[in-house]
Amino acid sequence: MTAVANYVKNIVDTVKTTLVGMRITGKYLLQKPITVQYPDERLPIPNRYRGIHYLEQEKCINCLACARACPIDCIEMDAIRHGKELEWVSFTLDYQKCMFCELCVYPCPKDCIHMGTEFAFTSYDRSEFVHDLLSYQGMSREAKARMIEAEKKKKAKEEAKAAKKAAEAAKKKAESEAKGEDAPDAGTDGGEG
Amino acid sequence: MSLPLHLAALAAPRSATNQINDFLTGVKPDFVPDWALPLTTALISVGIAVAIISLVAMSGTWLERKVSGHIQCRYGPMRVGWHGWLQPIADGVKLLLKEDMIPLGADKPLYLLAPALVLASILGAMAVFPLAPDFYFADIDLGIFTILALTSTTTIGVVMAGWSSNSKWSLYGAMREAAQVVAYEIPLGISLLVPVMVAGSFNLLEVSNGQAGGFGVLNWYIWPWVNPFMGPAFLLFFIAILAETKRAPFDLPEAESELVAGFMTEYSGIRWSFFFMEEYAAMFLYCVVGSFFFFGGFESPLTSLARATDVHLLVQVAAAVTIIAKGYAGLFLMMWLRWTLPRVRIDQVMTLGYKYLTPLALACVLGASVWEVFLAPVLPWR
Amino acid sequence: MTTTQEHTPSISETAARMLESGEREFVLDVKTSDLEVNMGPQHPATHGVMRILCRADGELCTGAQPHLGYLHRCAEKIGENVEWLQYLPYTDRYDYLAAMNNNLSYSLAVEKLMGIEIPRRAQMIRTICAELNRIGSHLIAFGTYGLDIGAITPFLYMFREREWMMALFEKICGARLTYSYIRIGGVFNDAPPGWLSEVERFCDTFDEKWQEYVDLLMMNHIFVKRTANIGVIPKEMAIDFGLTGPMLRGSGIDWDLRRDQPYELYDEIWADGAFEIPLGSGAKGTLGDCWDRVYVRVMEMHESIKIVRWCLDNIEPGPVIADIPKTLKIPPGEGYVGIENPRGELGHYVVSDGGKVPVRVRVRAPSFVNLAVLEALMPGTLIADAIAIIGSTDIVVGETDR
Repeated sequence: MTAVANYVKNIVDTVKTTLVGMRITGKYLLQKPITVQYPDERLPIPNRYRGIHYLEQEKCINCLACARACPIDCIEMDAIRHGKELEWVSFTLDYQKCMFCELCVYPCPKDCIHMGTEFAFTSYDRSEFVHDLLSYQGMSREAKARMIEAEKKKKAKEEAKAAKKAAEAAKKKAESEAKGEDAPDAGTDGGEG
Repeated sequence: MSLPLHLAALAAPRSATNQINDFLTGVKPDFVPDWALPLTTALISVGIAVAIISLVAMSGTWLERKVSGHIQCRYGPMRVGWHGWLQPIADGVKLLLKEDMIPLGADKPLYLLAPALVLASILGAMAVFPLAPDFYFADIDLGIFTILALTSTTTIGVVMAGWSSNSKWSLYGAMREAAQVVAYEIPLGISLLVPVMVAGSFNLLEVSNGQAGGFGVLNWYIWPWVNPFMGPAFLLFFIAILAETKRAPFDLPEAESELVAGFMTEYSGIRWSFFFMEEYAAMFLYCVVGSFFFFGGFESPLTSLARATDVHLLVQVAAAVTIIAKGYAGLFLMMWLRWTLPRVRIDQVMTLGYKYLTPLALACVLGASVWEVFLAPVLPWR
Repeated sequence: MTTTQEHTPSISETAARMLESGEREFVLDVKTSDLEVNMGPQHPATHGVMRILCRADGELCTGAQPHLGYLHRCAEKIGENVEWLQYLPYTDRYDYLAAMNNNLSYSLAVEKLMGIEIPRRAQMIRTICAELNRIGSHLIAFGTYGLDIGAITPFLYMFREREWMMALFEKICGARLTYSYIRIGGVFNDAPPGWLSEVERFCDTFDEKWQEYVDLLMMNHIFVKRTANIGVIPKEMAIDFGLTGPMLRGSGIDWDLRRDQPYELYDEIWADGAFEIPLGSGAKGTLGDCWDRVYVRVMEMHESIKIVRWCLDNIEPGPVIADIPKTLKIPPGEGYVGIENPRGELGHYVVSDGGKVPVRVRVRAPSFVNLAVLEALMPGTLIADAIAIIGSTDIVVGETDR
C-alpha cells in the first residue's frame, strides 16, 4: 500500500512543486529586469570605491610611507629636493601587481594619495599598466613661484642682513672713527662685527 | 473567373508540391526541358522546408534567450537590432566563420555525417507537416506515424556524433540519448493514440478537420467534454516530447554541468549549430503535432471568422497563423519549464518513462477507448 | 498512511552494495572495463580549477580521486615575508567568497597575540559584515548547487541578492570581493551614514526572497529526488574526516564555533537567543545526505539575517579601531583562533618572534579538510550523483590550494 501511496505522492509532488516554481519564474518574467545596459547606463559608484589611485601632488612630501605600506611594493616614487620644494621625476604604480587593498592610503601623513572611482582599463601592452600618478613633472608653477619667492625672501633677508651688517659696520666704523683719535688702530677690526 | 494558370495554382486546394509544379508549368519558358520541372519543384519544396526550419530555429534561439533573460531578471540580447532580434543572424555569421574543428582521433566520416543526418531527419519530417489546410508537401494517411518515425532517427545521428567524437563525455551523452529516446518513444506514441482514437485518423489534416466547429474552440480534443482522458494524455505527451527533444528537465544528453556539453562537446562552428537547429525545429514540430492532436490544429476563432468570409486565401492565412501561434505557445511553455526545473538523473528518467508514463498512457488509452465505445455515441454534443 | 516515505534503495545504493560484496561482475554477467574520466581542471562542475579523476563503469562511478594544487599561490609562505598588516589582503584571496570571515580570523589571531581590547562598535560592524558575507557565500553555494543539478534560474536570482550584498560592502569598504576591511584592532572605516538602515532594508527584502528560493529549488521534487539519499555521511564518518561547518551539521552533529568557541559578540548574541543552529535531520531522506547539507546552508542564511538584525538593534556610536601603532610589533608567542567560516572552521595559527614580520602563518582551511571526504563518498554513485556530491561539499579551490 505504501508503494502505491508513494507512487501517487511522487506524481502529486512533482506536479505541485513544478507549478510553484513556474509561478515564481512566471512572476519574474513579467517584471522589469534589474540589470542595466552597462556602457549606456551605469550604476552609481560609492565614494569609498577602491579604483585607480589619484595623487594630490601638491600635498605630497615624498615620504615613501605608502610605498613602504604596500604589500607587493608596486609604488615607486622619485623626486629631487630643492630646499622645501620638490622637483618631481616620477610616482608610478604598477597595476599589474596592485591588488587594490587600500593599505597605501592610511599611512599617508599628508592624506594625499587616494583611490578613485575609475576602474576600467584595458591595454594591448603590459607596460601601459604602470601608471604615472603625477599630474605634472618637475615643479609646479606655484612651487616655482614659491621657490622664487622663498629665494627672493632669502635674498632679501640676506641683503637685509648684509645691509644691517654693513650698517652696523658703518656705525662701528663711525664710532671707532669718532673714537679714532683715542684709538687709532680700531679701523683694522671693523670687519669682525 | 479565369485566372492565369500560375495564380490559379496557388488558389486550388491541392498539395504544395503540385501547386508549385503547376505554377512552374505556367511560367516555364519554352527552352527549358520538361524533365527539369519535377527537379525544380523538388528543390523549391526542399528550399521552403529548409527556410522554415532555419526561421524557426533562429526565432527559437532568440525567443529562448529573451525568455530566459526576462525570467532571470535580465534583458538577454539587446544590441543587434531592436531588442536584439537580429542576434540569430549575427550568431549564424559567427558560427559560419568559425574554424571547423575535427578532433585528431575522431572517426572522420561519421563525425562529418552526424550533424547532417540529425538535420535531415527533421527536414524529412517537415514533408508531412501541413502549413495550411491547402498547403502541404505530402498528404499521407499515416502522417503522424511518418513524423514520429523520421524524428526518432535523430537518435542515430546523435549516437553517431557521440561515438565518432572520440571523447568520453560525448559517448556518455550519446548513450544517454539512445536510452532516453527509446524509453520515451513508447509513452509518446501511446499517448497520441488517444486523440487518434477520437479522430479516427492518423492524418494531420483530418484530425484538424475533426475539431472544426464550436467557434473554433469548443471542439478541441483537449476539452474534457470531448474525452476526459485527453487532458492526462496531453500531459504525458508533453513530458514525452520534452524528453524526445532533449529539453530540460530531460537534457541529460547535453547536461552541461555533468557532461560538459554531452554529444556536442567536440563540435564547433556550423556543425554544432546543426544540432542546435535540430533541437529547436524538433521542439517546434512536436509542439505543432501537439496542437494538431489536442488543441484544434488549424481551428481557432480566427479561422472560423476567416471561414465566414468565404475567401479561400484568407482561410489559408488564418489557419497558418493559428498553427504557428500554437506552435510558438508550446515552444514558450517548454522554455518556461526549462528555466524553472532542475535536471533529473538518468535512472530517474528511465523510472519516469517506464514506470510512470507508459502505464499511465496505457491507462489513458484504455479509459479513452471505453469512453469512445460506450459513452461517446450517447453524448448529445458528440 | 504515514507521512514518512518508505525508503526504496536507489540504483546507486544497490550499485554500492554490489561493489562492496563483489557481486557486480556476477550480476551484470558482462566483463566491462572501467573508464577513466577526467573531471576537471576544466569542467563546468568542479567549482574552480580542481581535477577529479573518476573511474566509471558506464554511468556508475567506481572510484574518485581529487587532485589539487592548480591554484597554489604560496599564501602561507608569503605570510612569512610581509608585515603583519600587509598579510591582510592575502587572506582575502583564499576563500574569495567569504573574504570578510578570512580577515576576521586572521585579525582575531593577531589580536590574541597582542592582547588588545576591540571597541564594541567595531565588533558589531565585524559581526554584521561576517554574517552578511556568510549569506553571500551560502547564496553562491546554494546557487551553484542548483546549477550543478541543472536549475539555472535560481542561481541568477541568488546573484541578484548577492549583488546587493556586494554593493553594501562596496559602500563600506570600497571593494566587492576582496575586502581587506576587518583589520587588526578593529575595522578600517566606520560605516558611512545611512549604511545601517540599508542593511536593514536588505534584511527585510532578503527574508522574502529566501522563501522564494526554498519554494523554487529546495522543495522542488526533482531537486529533492536528486539530492536525498545521495552522498550520505553518517555521524561517525563526519567526525572521522574532521568535517566542519554545514558538512558536519548536515550530519546532525551540533557543533558551531559561534556558540561553542565564541568570538566577537557571538556568546552575547547566543545568550540573547537571537539565533539557532540548524541541523540536518534527514527530513527528505537519510541523515547526512546532500539535501541535508544544502538545507543547513539555506537555514543558516535565515539565521544570519537574525544575527544581523540583533546587531542593528544593539549598535551604538563609538570608535571603530583600537589604539594600535602604525607599524605593528607583535609580542613573541603563538596563537590560534578558529572561526565559523561559511564552509567550516577557518583557523589562523600565527607565530611571532616580536618582530614586524610573522615567523609563521598557518591556515586551517575548511574546504581542504572537507574535500577529503569526496574520495570516500564517490564510489558506487552515478556520474550525476558524483556532481551532486562535489557540489554539496561546497569547496572553494582558492582555499584548498591557498
